[in-house]
Amino acid sequence: MKIIYTILMCFLFVNVSNSQKQFLTKNGAITFFSSTTMADIKADNNQVLSIIDASNGKMAIIILMKSFMFKKALMQEHFNENYVESDLFPKATFKGEILNFETIKNSETKLEVKGSITIHGKRKEIIIPASFTRSENTIFVKGEFNLLLSDYNVKIPSIVSKKIAKELKVTFEFNHKPYKK
Amino acid sequence: MNTKKIIAVILGFGIISLFIVYKIYNKPHVNVSDAKSDITITADQIINDFSSDETKANRSYLDKIIKISGVISELKVVKQKGIITLKTNHDFGSVLCHLSDKASQKINSLKEEQTLTLKGICTGFLMDVILVKCEIIN
Repeated sequence: MKIIYTILMCFLFVNVSNSQKQFLTKNGAITFFSSTTMADIKADNNQVLSIIDASNGKMAIIILMKSFMFKKALMQEHFNENYVESDLFPKATFKGEILNFETIKNSETKLEVKGSITIHGKRKEIIIPASFTRSENTIFVKGEFNLLLSDYNVKIPSIVSKKIAKELKVTFEFNHKPYKK
Repeated sequence: MNTKKIIAVILGFGIISLFIVYKIYNKPHVNVSDAKSDITITADQIINDFSSDETKANRSYLDKIIKISGVISELKVVKQKGIITLKTNHDFGSVLCHLSDKASQKINSLKEEQTLTLKGICTGFLMDVILVKCEIIN
């Protein structure tokens, strides 16, 4: 009797861990900053979709360009219409792999994510440092990195070039939960 | 006398154009609660449109003020901002309505399974259709 019980528990446990293979968030946060002596510009996006496959450490992120909110409406308009051309390229994506995924602990673990970013239709390989914290039902990720506008064919007209940095600082924060339908 | 006039005219133009530039630069964001909605639709209809032809749906819904009605399946607050999930007949997609600061304070008066109408700006489709700056209508 006891053996049957143990076997049953084992199966249950396997099932539970199977159903928690995928972790995701639908309200991840990405912020970018452009800082020059002339102006500081900041835009927030709180609708980022990020998925981690806990069985192999693969990570995928999709970002809606129109979800970036600026303080000034005019800047948001220029960003969408002229710089990243959101009507042509409505989404930015990241696809990659968390290196040494299995070493993540329930305290902050610094790792690297290797993959490629696609913005404005242009794809580029990148390695992003990030810190991970894993508990029973969350994988929390945060970090920051720099991004060169010229890598993604984003052209800034010379009249405003002094107000917009050539390199942006990007910060991100995702709190992944187990995916359940 | 003549030079004075010319200077006055130039100064006048200067001030007016400065004022216009300032106005354009500080153009306010669309005020969702005051603006008239461009489209009235149900949660089921909008997710069907996005999942059948996303490019076409992007063209008709993006940046538009959308009045949407549906049944609440989930209510949550992340960083003091309310997020309402509306049920759809789609397999895994739903409609995510991110509330404005003002509307977020009213989230406690709402209940799951309640039918609700909201007004917000559509920014696109990931797994779900996403609306931002939503205001609760009723």
